[in-house]
Amino acid sequence: MEEYQALWLSAAIRSPIASRDMGSKQSLVKLLTKRQSGQFVTPGNLLGVIEEFTPGQGTYIENGRIYAKVSGRTLLDMQNKTVSVYPLARLVRIPKIGSIITGQVSSIQNKTAHVRIFKIGKDLISGVFSGLLYISDVSRSYVDSLHDTFKPGDIIRAKVISEKNRTFHLSTVDKNLGVLYAYCSQCGEFLQQKRYKLHCSACGRIEKRRFAGDYGEAAF
Amino acid sequence: MPKKEEKLINKDGIRSDGRKSNELRPTKIIVGNLPNADGSAYIEQGKNKILAGVYGPHEVHPKHLALPDRSLLRCRYHMAPFSVDERKSPAPSRREHELSKIIRQALEPAIFLKYYPRTSIDLFIEVLQAHGGTRCAGITVASLALADAGIPMRDLTVACAAGKIDGQLVLDLNDIEDKKGEADVPLAYMPNLNAVTLLQMDGQLTLGEFEDAVRLSLEGCKKLYNIQKEALRAKYVSKMEDEE
Repeated sequence: MEEYQALWLSAAIRSPIASRDMGSKQSLVKLLTKRQSGQFVTPGNLLGVIEEFTPGQGTYIENGRIYAKVSGRTLLDMQNKTVSVYPLARLVRIPKIGSIITGQVSSIQNKTAHVRIFKIGKDLISGVFSGLLYISDVSRSYVDSLHDTFKPGDIIRAKVISEKNRTFHLSTVDKNLGVLYAYCSQCGEFLQQKRYKLHCSACGRIEKRRFAGDYGEAAF
Repeated sequence: MPKKEEKLINKDGIRSDGRKSNELRPTKIIVGNLPNADGSAYIEQGKNKILAGVYGPHEVHPKHLALPDRSLLRCRYHMAPFSVDERKSPAPSRREHELSKIIRQALEPAIFLKYYPRTSIDLFIEVLQAHGGTRCAGITVASLALADAGIPMRDLTVACAAGKIDGQLVLDLNDIEDKKGEADVPLAYMPNLNAVTLLQMDGQLTLGEFEDAVRLSLEGCKKLYNIQKEALRAKYVSKMEDEE
């Protein structure tokens, strides 16, 4: 413990005073004999050593020892020899490949649409992530212009297909993906779905969108 | 006749607020008190009242600040205008800028920032009532707010100060002791990793006194760490029982 500590701390000062009573073998043995599944742990709590367990979710290894990195309950799997922490705190929500997101179309060019992602799965996030929707990922059939499929302000549901360099590329190639709510570009009224078109009840305008199977019904 | 200065610590070793030399102020911590923040915590340490809120990780604004390999930790330490005896201007002062920076640096080593490249974690520490040692209490409470936000961390960070008043080393200085005393040594510490992430000194101490002060504040940190753990347990364990 003593030789590696604080190596990665640029601002840290190695403390010779502190290391005298901490990390002794005795206290380690005392800790490890008391442990069992379901114990409440906070970040930094010692869970075991790598000789006895494979580190699972919510844990990290430092100098051959396994520690918790989130607060939660321990899960000691004696059959598979893994130790993990079942998190009790909120889970950090970041778009991943395959996650279904809900967002608002912020701007549209000829071949790309920008989307402000405000919901990942079922969880609203604080702030937004921005996503990019390319014309070839809109639908299985040929799309001539993105203006026929989306308008700025539309609420859409999409899938993340790439997260390279934290640019979230989206896709709406699926039956339940696409526009969830759209507003008339002439009067701002909510558009009603009528077969394959959207109808404005206020001004009678008819618009085209790439809408999802449950257009106008999804709650968010 | 000149006014006689009141002693900060009497012959029996009792301080002006009734504490012993190695005693912490009564401390109360609540975790998750702000429903709108991703993570939050509140501390009352003596007369200090500090609120911390965490948002993120989310997209960085302005975008040019984003770091390609890790998350950006942004920290704002701010004192409310009504937190001190004389109204403080709400604009961030030189001191607040500095404390924001050192609190950020004290917490950064604990967080796995590499997990979330090109994002930011925004941390807000709001001092509602200040009575000495707010930087330490701020670190202690901010670490809990980060844990509450579910951000993966190597360890909790806990901070406590020691100092010298009337020629005697004492733990956890309050405002009067901080201003009238001879020296002040704030220290932030990660108890499980046994690493110090902040160590400052204000005033004058001999080398031996300094070592003793560091040892004393480490002791205080360990006591505070137990309160921190209990605060987290109080939130999550009761939550579990409610669900059952």
